[in-house]
Amino acid sequence: MTTRNQAADAVAPLAQVSRRRFVKTALWGTGAVLALAGGSFAILRRSPLDDVSKPASLVHLSAPEYHLFNRAIEVLLPIDDGGLTPVDQVPVMANIDHTMGLVDPAVREDIRIGLALFDNAAVVAGLHGRRFVDLDRVDAIAYFDSWSRGNVLQKALQTVVKKFVYVSYWRDPATWPPVEFDGPVSDRWGIAYLGNAPLPDESTSDTASGEARA
Amino acid sequence: MQRIVRVPQDGVPVTEARDVAADPSMGRKFSIKTDVVVVGSGAGGSVVAYEMAKAGKSVLVLESGKYYPSAEFTEHLGDTIHEVYRDQAGQANSTADVLFIEGNCVGGSTVIGACVMHRLNPSVWQDWADNHGLKDLAPDKIAPYTKIVDRWLNVHVNEAHEINATAHKVIQGCERMGFSWRPVERNVKKCALTGHCLAGCPSDRKMSALVTHLPWAAAYGARLFADTHVTRVLERGGRAVGVEAVIRDPKTGSIVSDLRVDAEVVVLAAGAIHTPLIMQRSQLADRSGRIGNGMAVQPFVQVLSTFKEPVYGFRGALTGVQVDEFQDTDGYFFISGLAEPEQLMAVGEQKAGDAHIEFMKSYNRMAGINAFSLDEGSGSVVWEGGLTDGRKVIKWNPSRKEFKDIVRTTALASRILFSAGAERVWLPTFEKMHADSVFDLDDKLRSVDYGINGLYTFRMNTFSPHGSARMGVDPYESVVSPDGEMHDVSGLYVADASLFPTPVAAGPQWATQVFAKYVSDRILARGSNHFLG
Ligand SMILES: Cc1cc2nc3c(=O)[nH]c(=O)nc-3n(C[C@H](O)[C@H](O)[C@H](O)COP(=O)(O)OP(=O)(O)OC[C@H]3O[C@@H](n4cnc5c(N)ncnc54)[C@H](O)[C@@H]3O)c2cc1C
Repeated sequence: MTTRNQAADAVAPLAQVSRRRFVKTALWGTGAVLALAGGSFAILRRSPLDDVSKPASLVHLSAPEYHLFNRAIEVLLPIDDGGLTPVDQVPVMANIDHTMGLVDPAVREDIRIGLALFDNAAVVAGLHGRRFVDLDRVDAIAYFDSWSRGNVLQKALQTVVKKFVYVSYWRDPATWPPVEFDGPVSDRWGIAYLGNAPLPDESTSDTASGEARA
Repeated sequence: MQRIVRVPQDGVPVTEARDVAADPSMGRKFSIKTDVVVVGSGAGGSVVAYEMAKAGKSVLVLESGKYYPSAEFTEHLGDTIHEVYRDQAGQANSTADVLFIEGNCVGGSTVIGACVMHRLNPSVWQDWADNHGLKDLAPDKIAPYTKIVDRWLNVHVNEAHEINATAHKVIQGCERMGFSWRPVERNVKKCALTGHCLAGCPSDRKMSALVTHLPWAAAYGARLFADTHVTRVLERGGRAVGVEAVIRDPKTGSIVSDLRVDAEVVVLAAGAIHTPLIMQRSQLADRSGRIGNGMAVQPFVQVLSTFKEPVYGFRGALTGVQVDEFQDTDGYFFISGLAEPEQLMAVGEQKAGDAHIEFMKSYNRMAGINAFSLDEGSGSVVWEGGLTDGRKVIKWNPSRKEFKDIVRTTALASRILFSAGAERVWLPTFEKMHADSVFDLDDKLRSVDYGINGLYTFRMNTFSPHGSARMGVDPYESVVSPDGEMHDVSGLYVADASLFPTPVAAGPQWATQVFAKYVSDRILARGSNHFLG
């Protein structure tokens, strides 16, 4: 088992991303910051989920990333009062996987490091003692909220996770009727297609000097 | 002899990567000779392509993005972002906290633009004429160009039916605050009021380059290649002689062909981020040291609010009115607008869990304002690394002054919304906050500390970078001459948002198109220097 000291050492880069250091490293780009923070930690605590494989349909997400997003979806989108479209009716995970596939490979690598850090840092951050994937709902929300007030790296990472989840849910048309968003309307309204604009009439007087040459 | 010029009824004739792949005569490597090669088919490039083709020049337009014809538009922002927004709308500064949103498709950002055609105040043109030596930009000299842009692109003041419920809330707030406002001017013909501008206009009512200058240019014989990324400008003895490009399959990213274009004139119109990157990759002389430097960002934040009653602020024309009270004095402008749910997530996602659900359940009671501020023009873009394995780096974080301006624009936008009766304003900060009164607002805003470089404070975005290869008289102070030609390379022109001489407090599309028309005339006027025939 990881000791408290080992854990603290492992995520030290996160705690130590002092403002001064961040600014310096930020000059190399976020990737470098993430590499700096994430490069030196190992998995801090095993999770029962580590033995659970990911669905075969997911092309771009690794198994740990799948588990992370699964937990994030559960806690970020608590749609259980019937008001909004249930999460299981929206291909949120497939959308996340697809988006991950579109990201530039170098950026994707940075995101991967960041996600691993987000998951593991929960072991020590806020003294949860468990990885993010194993936090209960209240602790998981508290984790997101405290990171939204944390250092720049924490703000960045919680934003990445939320953005993946929220965009992947709300981009699906099935989620729109409950919030009364109309979605595509042109066909439904029978909007006539106008096509290309005709060539401009250049005969009128308000032409620029160059028109004279024509 | 009279030429018969026919504009295609819809669409633009485009050579795509798959056409190149299917044509054995082109092969893995081929070259084309042309009078003028235009790099980028957006607001600026499309205008130049038309003007050159109309003047009888052979024109080749190279566009890195794909051809996404309006017949395929879905009015679904998520799909569109994946198809035509550069880096899936994830292009960001080096600290990844400011998004630089840009179109990457035939027609460029005009295809996904919000249609606001923001005239520059005559005092801006006058300043450029008086204080920057750009005499031909004086209001009376530039007026003929501005008139053409207005007329050809159907720029008109929003009529009553184009002012939606969000805009009405903004008007109400402004009236109570005593702030000046006015309907925005837009480049739309018979707007269908769908509110889907950011996903392209499927009925072709938005006068984007896709339905105006590009098909017009094609009618005069201009050729257009999509999926074609220009890597560098070819230069011989201080003179531009063409460009090199790679054609990639947009689905797999694999290289289909290498292209070399030999041209008498090269026009860079790849936008304020990419034009200087091409110059840097080409290792062109840079006496001023300003290639890619001095970029204005014009950051904006999206301030959302919730009202007691349903507003349906997302219905109708996306952009309705603009608050111009602070434009000339402080460089702030505000534009009404509330986009689709996904856009709210992309530019300013909210709290976690129940708080997020509560936020989204109030979507039909929301109204929004986009609050823009004039920055100091200290952004930069740098190509780091080699020609083929390097990467772009965009640098901009707010200075203390710029940060204060963002706080102030947020405060003003919030006050307008509270005055219109908003119960809650959602602050555009990384640490999620809301305010339920103006008193609460001031306390909350005070708690946002500038910290180091304003990093991860406000959720800032920009879609209007400009001035990254500025126009000016002095080659030690500017990148391009008053004609739009690079000081140090003859035959190489810039005709996009890069050449703004100073930062402006206005959406840049209108002025970019005015500049492009102006530069076109300059190229033709100097024709004997460039063209053989
Ligand atoms: C979502 C959105 C909404 C906007 N709304 C408004 C608005 O309402 N009002 C307003 O005034 N402005 C608006 N803008 C900004 C406006 O569209 C731009 O300021 C304007 O289009 C700039 O024109 P440009 O020619 O410099 O660049 P663009 O129109 O962006 O065109 C540049 C083109 O060059 C291509 N390119 C880049 N690199 C290469 C390369 N290496 N090789 C080949 N091609 C390349 C790009 O793919 C692109 O098509 C908006 C922008 C966006 C993204």
